[in-house]
Amino acid sequence: MKRADMLLIAVILIAALAFLVPRYLSGNEEKGEQGKELVANVTVDGKHYRTIKLTKEEQTIDIRTERGYNILKVHDYGVEMYDADCPDKVCLGFGFITLPKQTIVCLPHRVLVEIASGAGEDEIDGFVQ
Amino acid sequence: MGLSNSESSQALKRTVIIAILSAVAVVLGIVEAQIPLSAMGLMPGAKLGFANIMILTCIYFLRGRDAFMLVILKTLLTAFILGTFSSLLFSLFGSLLSFIVMFLLMKGGRMQLSLIGVSIAGSIAHNIGQLAAASMVMGTTSIMYYLPILLVTGIVTGIAVGYAVRYLVSSLSQISLFEEFLR
Repeated sequence: MKRADMLLIAVILIAALAFLVPRYLSGNEEKGEQGKELVANVTVDGKHYRTIKLTKEEQTIDIRTERGYNILKVHDYGVEMYDADCPDKVCLGFGFITLPKQTIVCLPHRVLVEIASGAGEDEIDGFVQ
Repeated sequence: MGLSNSESSQALKRTVIIAILSAVAVVLGIVEAQIPLSAMGLMPGAKLGFANIMILTCIYFLRGRDAFMLVILKTLLTAFILGTFSSLLFSLFGSLLSFIVMFLLMKGGRMQLSLIGVSIAGSIAHNIGQLAAASMVMGTTSIMYYLPILLVTGIVTGIAVGYAVRYLVSSLSQISLFEEFLR
């Protein structure tokens, strides 16, 4: 490896850290405010589909579109993609998410699930086209 | 066609090399599709980018348009075989951006960056291209949440691919088929 390679790696790592550090700090703050209600915004094809409260109790949400189905499961203040008939099953790999800004994406079905804090009624802000 | 003997033999060699490289690229693409990276806690949908080994090797030996042909062939054939047409647009977008970045770096910045640096830049460009295509289709930028993770994995896979290309290039240089394309 040449010096320029090392420089390139350093620049990319710094860029990645610049994204990660503020997120880590704000993530800790959010954890401090316990009892804040979180919601999951479900978007299909860029359009708002549903907003789901993340409860401790288990609930399943069926998202049916002309492309196929996705089944979300909410439990323990988080959400996961439980099943889907998309060809690549990448969305199932996102696992169980609990923190604001975390997302589950199913590209073949154009389904996006994003966690946001449910305080106030301003969650529509995220859907400016 | 009005080609002289040596010209037509060189054109034939180019075609053969593109065919061989794209066959290997497709096989590598199928192999890496079987590796469940998301089960290891990494970004779902992330790939190791082995096929990039063949594309970078092609940029090294042949012209830009030959490598462009290889990128198109590899992306289409992999989608045909794996049946992942829904993500064809995303992989095409990523592959093309990665190809353009690597091609420009090989032409212009060959003095500064080694093959490993070029390969890192290529795999980062691939990730950014796919994320950009995804956020355009989904109409949201929230997918960019995964950008930092993809930058770090891009460095790791880029280094691995770069070393593979370095060994491959030095081995292929000893084969007579590649002789006249040496630099």
